[in-house]
Amino acid sequence: MRRLIPFALLFPLLAGCGNRNLILTVDILSFLNPSSKVVSYNIPVPAPSDTVEVFSDSLNLLQGVSDVTRAVAASMDIAASFDNTSGAATGSFLIYIASADSSSPFTTTPIANVPFTLLAGQVTNVSTHVDASASLAEALTHDKAQVGLRVIFNGTAFPIQGTETLTQLTATVIMKKDL
Amino acid sequence: MTKVTSLTIAVIACALFAGTAESQTLDARRLGMGGVVTSDVGDFSGSNIAFRAVPKGAGGTGSIPLPLGLIQYLSDHPVYDSKDSLFNIYKIANVLLNPPLTIQLVKPKEVSGDISIFIAQDSLKVDLADVKRVIPENSMKQGGVMHLFGIHRNFGKGFVQIGSLVHLRNELTLSNQLRDALRDARPFTSNTRYGLTDEGRAQAAIAFQVGYAARALYRAPAKESSTDPRQNRATALYLGAAPKYLLGLAYGDARGEGGVTTGDTLFASSNPVTIDMDSQTRNSGIGGSGGLGSGIGSDLGAVLYWNNFELGLGLNDFGSQIKWNVTRRRHLYDDVTNQFTTTVVAKDEKYTSRIPVTTTINVAKRIGRTTLAADLVDGDLRTTMHAGAELWFGMWAVRSGIYRDQNQMAQFAGGGGYRFGKLGLDLAIATNSRNISRERGAELSASLSLY
Repeated sequence: MRRLIPFALLFPLLAGCGNRNLILTVDILSFLNPSSKVVSYNIPVPAPSDTVEVFSDSLNLLQGVSDVTRAVAASMDIAASFDNTSGAATGSFLIYIASADSSSPFTTTPIANVPFTLLAGQVTNVSTHVDASASLAEALTHDKAQVGLRVIFNGTAFPIQGTETLTQLTATVIMKKDL
Repeated sequence: MTKVTSLTIAVIACALFAGTAESQTLDARRLGMGGVVTSDVGDFSGSNIAFRAVPKGAGGTGSIPLPLGLIQYLSDHPVYDSKDSLFNIYKIANVLLNPPLTIQLVKPKEVSGDISIFIAQDSLKVDLADVKRVIPENSMKQGGVMHLFGIHRNFGKGFVQIGSLVHLRNELTLSNQLRDALRDARPFTSNTRYGLTDEGRAQAAIAFQVGYAARALYRAPAKESSTDPRQNRATALYLGAAPKYLLGLAYGDARGEGGVTTGDTLFASSNPVTIDMDSQTRNSGIGGSGGLGSGIGSDLGAVLYWNNFELGLGLNDFGSQIKWNVTRRRHLYDDVTNQFTTTVVAKDEKYTSRIPVTTTINVAKRIGRTTLAADLVDGDLRTTMHAGAELWFGMWAVRSGIYRDQNQMAQFAGGGGYRFGKLGLDLAIATNSRNISRERGAELSASLSLY
């Protein structure tokens, strides 16, 4: 409860604004461990839909926000960079988000699925904007949320080696007062 | 919300706030002259007790407000249901600050807009949009001394009066860091305290007053054309005094400060801030601990006339104080245990509260049927100045004025009137900043003058 107190000051101000919104933007990337942002991958031989779990982490968010507000919309901006040193593949970059009471973020449906193509010796940047995810809105207005990132490779030339760097993970939730 | 309920709220707002010194001027004649007070313009609230002894002149002796604003209010009033999507507490605050008795010609911009918060592990930025306009550059001060619902009876040059007195005062001060973060949307930073201090006081009493006002000096002019010292070039001095006994009904004050101090990283742990809160309260009142209070006070006044020039000095609630037996408590928040503790520091402690004096200095000069006037009113929280002029052409009057209001803003006024024998109809248009965002608005006021 204590963490809410300084920010709770803001909600009466919101309450006064009539039919207006509270726009909460969370730079999730800044909450991640540095080791979670950069992951090396190495797929030496062909394997169908080889999966690399980049990270799964729990975030502390604004406590009590859900008590006084109602999420009406949410979006997320995601960007990553693949520095592929060898091999080639197509694949999918999957984002999962769930509230803290979930056993694992990977048990939920991904909120984003970003396709990519990797070639040897090339840096590939991927990004996407995810709109209107109800699960995202619900998760971000709870005390804690779990975030997971997973990369699925469909290799065409092996070994596939390189590093993946997460460069942006920003969530925006639009809330209305619910007092 | 029915119109009856909305009207009831408006009436309560008018009753509570229209009587304060710096609230609306419902006398359109006075408002048209910039809110200035003289012995025959707008002194119906008794800013100078010596005015009672000055003979009735060509100016008015009273005013009956015409609350045309209620019609506008009934057709367009705030939503009072907090569940309604149109509920806006700032619109309601504006009704309290600016009771709907006059027609609003220019309304201040509505406080609305989306609030944006950006959070990163070591960054927090809050953009309150329009709400930023509500947060003042300095402390937020509200209150005043109100003399409400009095009855009086004159006995020659003396009078007796019973009335209620309410003194309210609140001052909320944000620390520079908190103000910058909320008003200027500056990012919150690590290892910084964001604090606020609030001081509030409320007291109510019944005043039993006996007064006397009389002419102390009179030097007749060479050719006395009338008994009105405002117009006959006489030299005259009028003095008035009215001591009063104050029966204190209730008293309460609170002084508190609190704040949050951020750590090395804003959101590094589950408890990223240290919270401190400490407040002290004192209270006494009828039916509670301490009981009734008892005190004395006075209203004093003097007005000098010389060559159609008027100089007045009125002191209301001069030396007014009430003795109480208060209970003093301290409320402290412990950041470690996350709990408030309340300690009774003293019980039935002797305490004397003061009613702040209101000083009114006015000057006026009558030249034929023209009046030029100015005043300075110094009260508990603010000092205001007014200046205005009135010119009569037959039965028609033209007025204009300027004043510096409670928010230290220059405001402008103008108006006119027509006199029908003992009665006059006056209209005035004036600007003001009586709203929560302290922006300039304009109002139309109407009233009847009694001559």
